[in-house]
Amino acid sequence: MPELIKVRPTKIELVKLKRRLALAQRVQKIVKDRLSILTLEFLQTARETVEAKKTVLDEFSKLYKGLSIASGYHGYIALEKELIATEADLKIAAGLRNIAGVRIPSFELVNSSKPVKGYSLVDTSSWLDNAVQLSADCLKAIVQLAELQRTFELLAMEINRTKRITNALEYVVIPGLQTTINYLNMKFEERDREEKARLKRVKVLLARG
Amino acid sequence: MLKPLQDKAVMQSGQSPYEKVLHECLRGELRIVNAGLPQTQKRLSDLLTEEYPQVACNDGSTHLFKKDELKHLASMLDDDEQRALLLPMLIEVGTNQAEANVLALSGYEGKVEEKVITKTLNMPVRCEGGRIRIYRPQLALLRRKFRSTTAYVFSPRMAA
Repeated sequence: MPELIKVRPTKIELVKLKRRLALAQRVQKIVKDRLSILTLEFLQTARETVEAKKTVLDEFSKLYKGLSIASGYHGYIALEKELIATEADLKIAAGLRNIAGVRIPSFELVNSSKPVKGYSLVDTSSWLDNAVQLSADCLKAIVQLAELQRTFELLAMEINRTKRITNALEYVVIPGLQTTINYLNMKFEERDREEKARLKRVKVLLARG
Repeated sequence: MLKPLQDKAVMQSGQSPYEKVLHECLRGELRIVNAGLPQTQKRLSDLLTEEYPQVACNDGSTHLFKKDELKHLASMLDDDEQRALLLPMLIEVGTNQAEANVLALSGYEGKVEEKVITKTLNMPVRCEGGRIRIYRPQLALLRRKFRSTTAYVFSPRMAA
């Protein structure tokens, strides 16, 4: 049973309560829409995250094989010597996107299509080129996974918060307002009836007198 | 019996602190949903030339576009259409839970948006009154392809 809001039983309070109810219902509609959109995005992100995780594992497995072959061909020391020169800073364009009021991070590798090749192409084999290409693919997959995973977490948190608001509106706020409005309406009707009865009584008394 | 946050003085003034907070929260919710809307839309042709394509949002943040998506859009459209298409495309959500509207704001009676959506969904769509109506499964597909180049609008007109 929803709790009555303590208000003075006046018409002004009734009008205020009705306004508040209209606002609450409007907000409930919007919050529900938002929740459905967030859920849609969440499910989609979940699917994509699973795919991205699989991709990362596949890419790493390919890279491991590629690097094993390259290191087998060149030897660890020679490979390390060649790869020292290729060390470069990773550039990621980071920004934000907004999904129904949730700020989601957005990452993108800058120049991801061109893997860094600082080693000598004369002294090295195509196995190393292949390993470098695979490592670039791995980086791309990791960045994508990072974005998706964070999106997944943020959407989940926002869905929880929005659900709490929807439940509060649906089970506490709106029923409370409706009950109070009904109570006030009944009170006013009761007053009207009392007034009518009083007038009838006065009329009878006047007629007698 | 009075609630913890209610006292006689508050009762006489009309609204308790609890209710004021509640009221503010509800109003805040209305503000949040559209806070991330871009202040302006940019043309696809302009965004393609930017190093970090982005637009400013109403809440002061920036909305970053993915270059891959912009390139994908550019591959679908010719030069004139690229100059006409305004991004992010706005998806209006409201009244009917089962459908949404893509707002066609680029001019040409929404022909550019129509073309993009038709090619993406692989089915014909029509623009009526500046809106292209799509259903939820199609919306999911559209969002999957264009995550950063579309944005949701919660229309108060529709929600009322």
